[in-house]
Amino acid sequence: MPSPAVLAQLRKIVGLDALLDRPEDLMLYEYDGGVRKCTPAAVVFPQETRQVAQIMKLAGSAGFPIVARGAGTGLSGGAIAPEGGVVIAFARMNRILEVDAGNMRAVVQPGVVNQQLSDSVAHLGLYFAPDPSSQKACTIGGNVAENSGGPHTLAYGVTVNHVTGLTVVMPSGEILRFGGKAAECTGYDLTGFLVGSEGTIGIVTEITVRLLRRPENIATLLGIFETIDDGAKTVSAITAAGITPAALEMLDGWTLRAVEAACHAGYPLDAGAVLLIELEGLAEQVEEQAEAVREVCFQQKAREVRRAKDENERGLLWKGRKNAFAALGRLAPSYYSQDGVVPRTKIPAVLQFIEGISQKYGLRIGNIFHAGDGNLHPLILFDPRDPHQLELVQAAGAEILERCVEMGGSITGEHGVGLEKRNLMPLLFTDDDLDVMLSLHNAFNAAAVLNPGKLFPTTRMCRETSGPSTNPVLQAEGM
Amino acid sequence: VSAPGVSLDVARELRSICGHDNVAERPVGGVYVCPGSTEEVAEVLTFANEHHLSIGPAGGSTERSAAELRTDIVLHTNRLTEVEHYDHGDLTVGIGAGATVAQLNLMVGADRLLFAGDPPMPDRCTVGGLLATAVYGPLRHGYGAVRDYCIGVRFVTGDGRRGKGGGRVVKNVAGYDLMKLLIGSYGTLAVITSASFKLFPSPRQTKTFLAEFATANEALQFRDRILRSPLSPVCLELVSPGARKLMRPEMTSDTWVMCVRAAGSDAVLTRYQKELGSVITRELEGDSEQRMWRAIQNFGYAGDGRDDARAPELIYLSVWPREVPDVVDTLLKQSALSGVDVSLIGRVGVGLLLVRVADKEAGTAAIHKLIVVLERVFGDKITLKLRGAVNPWPIPPTNLASMRAIKQALDPNNTLRGRNIF
Repeated sequence: MPSPAVLAQLRKIVGLDALLDRPEDLMLYEYDGGVRKCTPAAVVFPQETRQVAQIMKLAGSAGFPIVARGAGTGLSGGAIAPEGGVVIAFARMNRILEVDAGNMRAVVQPGVVNQQLSDSVAHLGLYFAPDPSSQKACTIGGNVAENSGGPHTLAYGVTVNHVTGLTVVMPSGEILRFGGKAAECTGYDLTGFLVGSEGTIGIVTEITVRLLRRPENIATLLGIFETIDDGAKTVSAITAAGITPAALEMLDGWTLRAVEAACHAGYPLDAGAVLLIELEGLAEQVEEQAEAVREVCFQQKAREVRRAKDENERGLLWKGRKNAFAALGRLAPSYYSQDGVVPRTKIPAVLQFIEGISQKYGLRIGNIFHAGDGNLHPLILFDPRDPHQLELVQAAGAEILERCVEMGGSITGEHGVGLEKRNLMPLLFTDDDLDVMLSLHNAFNAAAVLNPGKLFPTTRMCRETSGPSTNPVLQAEGM
Repeated sequence: VSAPGVSLDVARELRSICGHDNVAERPVGGVYVCPGSTEEVAEVLTFANEHHLSIGPAGGSTERSAAELRTDIVLHTNRLTEVEHYDHGDLTVGIGAGATVAQLNLMVGADRLLFAGDPPMPDRCTVGGLLATAVYGPLRHGYGAVRDYCIGVRFVTGDGRRGKGGGRVVKNVAGYDLMKLLIGSYGTLAVITSASFKLFPSPRQTKTFLAEFATANEALQFRDRILRSPLSPVCLELVSPGARKLMRPEMTSDTWVMCVRAAGSDAVLTRYQKELGSVITRELEGDSEQRMWRAIQNFGYAGDGRDDARAPELIYLSVWPREVPDVVDTLLKQSALSGVDVSLIGRVGVGLLLVRVADKEAGTAAIHKLIVVLERVFGDKITLKLRGAVNPWPIPPTNLASMRAIKQALDPNNTLRGRNIF
């Protein structure tokens, strides 16, 4: 816990109006989009890179842990501070520093909201491709930390595929620049390494992103199926037909009814599942692919295939998809969102498995996910006020992820490991694998000043992350 | 064989790990070893690390000849060719680092899939070599870099630890992205033993449109028009008059050529024709199209004979796209000043140029002068790599301290010193 003297020093760095330490203010920073909570000791709002470096140096010398935070929409607990930790919130570093349309780049501060960037370059016919469902709120700094995805990553890749340069404050307090606007870097690809390192290697204060040109034409189709199995089989049938849609999303019948009640997106209430399929590109190509996709859907027993007639209808279909998590909030006090991945041919089998888990634990599980790349989001509904339910939910979630890994998949496709899945890492990685990652962690963040307790398992590791052995988050949770 | 200063029989030890027939003495001193599994690679590296012997990993020797490696041990990956996983429905594949790119493409091509890596000399270039050097071909324009479609990697660190990054699925953020760290690290951190990739559906048909221009500037204005259009060609290549003559010696014209390769149905190709307009002078399909792209893919490599002291120097330049005209102009002026023949091709849509300096002997001094000028004029607007050099980055990386920290974490004894980058 930083002493009053340290808090005074922090105020001196960021300004009197840029530090919060009253309990009622800190409550707002004790959670993210996941299920874990911990109240930080203070929240600071730097306005420039230099201040972040000064905070980092102070943390090193005074010995308090720090964690960077964007909008707090993360789903893995990545932005939760350890007890006694200080949150560096990037709400005031939210400027688009440069739009360089000629080189198809933009340079932004980490607090810029994802959607805002695309909106601000729309008049140039450009956009930023990663589009997490939380894109109206989540920040690009957070996207970089978690290597976020979104529906359109099927065709365009995740955040790391769209970042070419970073300014980073290292745990030593040094300010470094990795990469730049050029497509290729000199030396090791430190930019690529930093993206997705969940704030455990350095704090990013400037990001150079790649912008893409908006496609000439977009077709949004809704494939309606009687059973979830038919919908699931259609996913790999579409890619087998040589078509890579820009997005290929699936909602099961139960979820889409909940979504429809909340969003009135125009989803059919009696379907077993729907596929939301988006095709982008040249007009000729989009028309041909739309026809081919319709054919595939009907071959796979689709009841109906609808096509959005205009931008308004398209917007409605996507509104349903992107607000689905929130819509389920109407049905239960809370939900636990999973992020497992399976090879896409295994989607039918894993959905059957999830149904079995739902019955085994007596928990309601909705499925709404990025089917095209096999990235599942089973949403397990529960009441967090009942500790027994939370235990059941976590057990059910772990069982689903274990099955994903057995099928050749992963425990997280886009949400990150964070606090939530750190102890599932040994499902994917051996002690040796983790030891290699740990040696890289310790090459930069040996004292674990930066975001301690994240990403690495607290169990079954031959070595613990070095640094302060008192990690209150771990102790409090008995993990 | 005893490595200098080491009083033990290196070859005998390596034979006990990899089998008698998989170790050979090198005429220049030291040994070749060909491990057959990741376990054997780990044992070899552990042994070398413990005894402070140096190792240089080698694949198909397309970028730098194994014969040029001055390490105690040259570790060949040629026996690491096992297919780890392949289901065409998943559009992913995992394969040993020693498989060649041509072998990989043959396998997935049978299912009408495409591996987007198209390095020079694909029948020799290995998957491991492709990753270690981050080399690319003309498909780089439409499909991105190998960092964009490599989804997993298995490796052994310089100090002999087995490691893994990513996995088998196209979307995966569990753990550090070690693919990014190893891609383009020139085997200085770890020996890659296998990797997984995302595959793409093969285009059913393609067509290439050629447009000729008197100057590079006019050609690049045409590039800008394409980049602003709704077209998204799979390749977009600029070929200088000199490069064209190298690839087609019978050609006499002095024009700059823009090559636009489109994929799609008849309707899509007709649309390209319409959008590109009257500036198109030729259209290529089938064998002649394949031949042309193969020549571009192998530019600066095929027939150059890497062991020949007079082999050309090749610079891989990455330039801010808008700066390409000025960079080309500078290259031509410097070429005229120094009298050294410079020819170039490039994926100019994303700002990548391959610059060939004709004569290595006459060229070495000239090339370094060229690099100095480029650095002075363009600063951080360019990055560059020198093919086959002991240090591929003649302009030193600005983050050497961070690179050293990573090197120290994975290869503390500098066992992997086939290249000298620090």
